[in-house]
Amino acid sequence: MEPIINDFTFNIATANGTGSQSANLILLQTMFEMGVPVSGKNLFPSNISGLPTWYIIRVSDDGYQAPGDRTHIQVLMNKVTWEKDVAALEAGTIVIYNTDVKMPVERDDLVLYPIPMTKIARGLNPKLARMISNMVYVGVIAEIIGLDQSVLETAIIKQFDGKTKAIELNSTAITLGREYVAENFEEMCPYVIESREKDPDAFIIDGNKAVALGSIFGGVTMLSWYPITPSTSIAEDIISYLPSLRTDEDGNLTCAVIQTEDELAAAGMVVGAGWAGGRAMTCTSGPGISLMSEFVGLAYFSEVPGVIWDVNRAGPSTGLPTRTQQGDLSMLFELGHGDTKHIVLIPGNMAECFEFGWRAFDLAERYQTIVFGFSDLDLGMNRWVCKGFDYPEKVDRGKVLHSQSEIDAIGNFGRYRDIDGDGICYRTLPGSGLEPILYRGTGRDEDGAYSENPEVYVANMERLKRKINGARTVLPQPILREEPEKQVGIIYYGSMENTIQEIDDVLESTGLKVSQCRIRSLPISPVVEEFVASHEQIIVLEVNRDGQLYGILRKELPINLVPRVHSVAYSDGLPTRARKYADMIREKLLEVMP
Amino acid sequence: MKLNIIDLPKDDYKGGPSSLCPGCGHDQISNVVINAAWENGIEPDRIAKMSGIGCSSKTPAYFLGKSHGFNTLHGRMPSVTTGANVTNKDLHFIAVSGDGDTASIGIGQFVHAIRRNLNMVYIIENNGVYGLTKGQYSATVEKGSQKRKAKMNESPPIDLCAMAINLGCTFVARSFSGSKKQLTSLMKAAMSHRGTAIIDVISPCVTFNNNDESFRSYGYVKDNQTELHSYDFIPKFKPITEVEVPEGEYRDITLFDGSILRLETIGSDHDPSDAVNALSHIHHAEQEQKHVTGLLYHNPVPKTLDEMLNLSNTPLAELSDDMIRPSEENLEALLSELRS
Repeated sequence: MEPIINDFTFNIATANGTGSQSANLILLQTMFEMGVPVSGKNLFPSNISGLPTWYIIRVSDDGYQAPGDRTHIQVLMNKVTWEKDVAALEAGTIVIYNTDVKMPVERDDLVLYPIPMTKIARGLNPKLARMISNMVYVGVIAEIIGLDQSVLETAIIKQFDGKTKAIELNSTAITLGREYVAENFEEMCPYVIESREKDPDAFIIDGNKAVALGSIFGGVTMLSWYPITPSTSIAEDIISYLPSLRTDEDGNLTCAVIQTEDELAAAGMVVGAGWAGGRAMTCTSGPGISLMSEFVGLAYFSEVPGVIWDVNRAGPSTGLPTRTQQGDLSMLFELGHGDTKHIVLIPGNMAECFEFGWRAFDLAERYQTIVFGFSDLDLGMNRWVCKGFDYPEKVDRGKVLHSQSEIDAIGNFGRYRDIDGDGICYRTLPGSGLEPILYRGTGRDEDGAYSENPEVYVANMERLKRKINGARTVLPQPILREEPEKQVGIIYYGSMENTIQEIDDVLESTGLKVSQCRIRSLPISPVVEEFVASHEQIIVLEVNRDGQLYGILRKELPINLVPRVHSVAYSDGLPTRARKYADMIREKLLEVMP
Repeated sequence: MKLNIIDLPKDDYKGGPSSLCPGCGHDQISNVVINAAWENGIEPDRIAKMSGIGCSSKTPAYFLGKSHGFNTLHGRMPSVTTGANVTNKDLHFIAVSGDGDTASIGIGQFVHAIRRNLNMVYIIENNGVYGLTKGQYSATVEKGSQKRKAKMNESPPIDLCAMAINLGCTFVARSFSGSKKQLTSLMKAAMSHRGTAIIDVISPCVTFNNNDESFRSYGYVKDNQTELHSYDFIPKFKPITEVEVPEGEYRDITLFDGSILRLETIGSDHDPSDAVNALSHIHHAEQEQKHVTGLLYHNPVPKTLDEMLNLSNTPLAELSDDMIRPSEENLEALLSELRS
């Protein structure tokens, strides 16, 4: 039997609320600590207990992070999905299953590891048998793929945060699983884990935590939030880190946190805090963004800074609330009634989640507008390898006047007068006593006084457009990886970053070399236009139905470039899989290329 | 020129000219806000005036021209005020809303601002109709009341004072725009309170709801107002010894800033610390188709939102960059924790 080293995918089928997440994270952490490139995807239901959950672990020396195209090792714990899970397997798949579920595996082309997991667990602690049985499969897997026992034990200690009783119990269950395999089965699994040299800087983190930490280092002074999957942990992580990172010498906090009555209030508080001179943020998902729409328009028009993170889940409506999508992009870009355009930051990895976390505040105060952070469930809630965070650049509080002499130096100050010609006006803060105005969502002149004058309105709207356009070269610029052939270019963004290299390799294996352009902000940079102009065909690759970035590009690119731009968009709620998108790209190119 | 305790003329508290209908109750309330803030000697710089959308919400343009303000969204003034309040807790927040803005579209934010005991004066200019959209009934209109050229209203009203008391609001008063003396005393007291101070002011709409059949017309309210007490406001800077002691019975309420509201008994002696009795007054007034006015409820004890949040003594808006950004050493320590 030829061993297959560090190149396979696990699928672990359990029910949620049974403690399987701990078991899965111990597996992930152990392999990570052994230096093996690994990624984990949690496919969970919108439910607290009892519904089907799958955890997919991809092991790949090539560094591929998307779920693979097939399952190599299947764990079966859940009666409900059992038959479908078995039916979906390719011949030769290793199947580790709990015989106490009393479900058959009626196929003779699979490699079977029947294990009485519940019985083993019951022997340890009858009350906790259901939870401990998950640890038994950890032991089984550890034995058959060769996980290092000492690294495994360290991962258990980390997972249970030093709680002695839990560590002992779970550790014993894992050992019993190992022993059961050693005593009852011949070696029949080709899949093997081999240690690699671990990067000492690397750690595992989810995108929401990285955004939370970035926001704390960005100087957030107010977080207003309403719980919604998959954004909730941004707020909870901020709350958990504030005592250690944002307490002053008197023991008081330098950031207010308010759990609100709804997302309208969350957005309203962001606007109020930004108006009063704070660095304010909220985090939500699509349904929350819908509710925040009116406030975002107010902030755009009255020019108040604020940060809103959208961790996208599959819409429309309640949609698939625990599944991923890039379906809110066009909504964010033009949120609100009337003509609006917003700055959107789109991180594609953990370091960028942190960086855009702090940078969002600088940009919001520089441009006196709402800045969106656009993440998704895959990036936000799944765990990714990260090598570290760079300390932020100097704080930029934007054009705020703090003294009468500064106002005198300007001469003809007006809250909405464009003194510098960049569309960005100077502001004064409540409490300063300097040039007070009544902020409003109604039309107003350059001094902030109510006006319905058509010329005044047009001048103001044109200035707002100029202001946001000015950010195009300042925002995080696209990342390009160009092939000398410059035949086909792929434009993509966000969490697709974690699949693009594998897509690229799949395409290259069919003889197609593609350039890549990852967009990291809206409105788009001029670099994107250059990229489009320098390639014969452009594919805009995204995780939604309608090709939302494609739509934005059609509007933003010069008309002569539009015919070479094509959309490949697909979303089924699952994390992106390379083969699916690679096939769609090839089909599209066959269709459009001469 | 007459100056107040901080040597400012009243002109420093005035705003632009009103564009409301001549005779509108709201303009009288604006004048009361101007007088109360001036006489209390609050620095205009330190006031933030807030409002939602509607006729009433336009009035911050007509008072306190030297204060920053925000005319926000329909029904959403409380959330904007909340964000601003925690960002600069040392400002005086004076907010204006209407019955449409508060009792319908904004009822959720009204409820939650009270629940948080947000430190603000929340004035409801309550006329029972939507003025800017030309006179539709609002949710505070009494059962049996009838506006001009319309059917009688048959739905029960939302009583914002009763609601506020039930929610634990720390200062609840009802007044009438035509009762200038009472309203001024209550306004000053509200400005001296720490916590959410609700003043529900019956403010007749002269254009759409001032006919005889309306329970909120000038004539009706004048004839059917039941005053709980008569009031004297004694500002913190005025020695109490200089105040004439009333002949009848009275009760003094000491407010947060040290000012005193003196309640002189008119009819039954209502104790504003008694929430149940306050609700009983409201209930009986509604049954008798009357308006009970005065200080209904006061409780100085509960913490305000900014106190509950355990915030820095320096307002968050004024913190220096190094106060809001953890150090490089903090980041290094965090990264090594994540790597361990």
